[in-house]
Amino acid sequence: MPGVVLFAGYVGLGGLLHGVGFPFFAGMLSTLLIWALPAQVILAGGIGAGTALPALALAIGLSSLRLLPMTVAIAPFMRGHRRSFWAELLCSHYVAMTFWVEGLRLLPKVPGEGRVAFALGLGNALLAISLAGTAAGFFLAGELPPALAAGLLFLTPVSFSLMMIRNAGRDLMDWLALGAGLLSVPFVVGLAGGADLMISGIGGGTVAYLIGRFLRRRG
Amino acid sequence: MSALSGEAAAMLVVILVGFLPTEMWRALAMVAGRKVQEGSELFRWVKAVATALLAAVVGRLIFAPAGTLAEMPLSLRLASIAIGVAVFFACRRSILLGALAGEAVLLGGAWWFLG
Repeated sequence: MPGVVLFAGYVGLGGLLHGVGFPFFAGMLSTLLIWALPAQVILAGGIGAGTALPALALAIGLSSLRLLPMTVAIAPFMRGHRRSFWAELLCSHYVAMTFWVEGLRLLPKVPGEGRVAFALGLGNALLAISLAGTAAGFFLAGELPPALAAGLLFLTPVSFSLMMIRNAGRDLMDWLALGAGLLSVPFVVGLAGGADLMISGIGGGTVAYLIGRFLRRRG
Repeated sequence: MSALSGEAAAMLVVILVGFLPTEMWRALAMVAGRKVQEGSELFRWVKAVATALLAAVVGRLIFAPAGTLAEMPLSLRLASIAIGVAVFFACRRSILLGALAGEAVLLGGAWWFLG
């Protein structure tokens, strides 16, 4: 099941990359190296919107910061008996949402000496699924009749909307951030060079954080 | 896109704008490890900004999409999202069923508009 969702997500990304005119191998490289679907969606969406590259790098850096606590949490399960800095660094590259959830579920059951190998095997399997999805989406986008091509481009917004709603859970701040980011779009969509992303993201997120903190202090 | 027309230029963008800002956090986690506190106020702010950033990009894909999706009326795109969210909640928070329902509405509309 996690493999199916992952594959579908990357098919959507492949379609999006094709839609904004991103070259194929650079798109595949983004899955191999960035290996974080939200960051890749921001990259592809930003390129399509003509966002300035420094603003895009800042947006991606902020969106990927969540990988830091995730990596810290899973790191103890990716260490063998003999500590190897480079093996640990390589393992850390595979940390992303699906790997993290499956890794935390499976890795604790693996004996210490096999954990690095298991983590790399799991990571490479998920990566292969995702690369296949990226390629499939990219090529399908050029072949499909227009109605289905529109459906392919719709895969990312519809699945990400639902995933963000699921992840928001019980924290009011998440809902405020979600609403602020989403609903500010029509008002800032004409602004050039990444100003829209900065106002919606940093502005909207900060407002959501402050309101959330205010309500938490009172309640 | 004109500045990115070359495959090599696009790869450079992927590495500098996408890979480095993402990978640095993973590497920092392995090096700095235990010094970060997940529940701290700084992390709450970062989480809010990251959520709003992603929501803004997804919102852009809904309000101002690329390609043939742009030929669909905004009302159809919004209705498809709304139905997807409704089915998601109705079917015990199933992302798969919610996404399928949203896609079905959009494809039905697309077939209607494009013939």
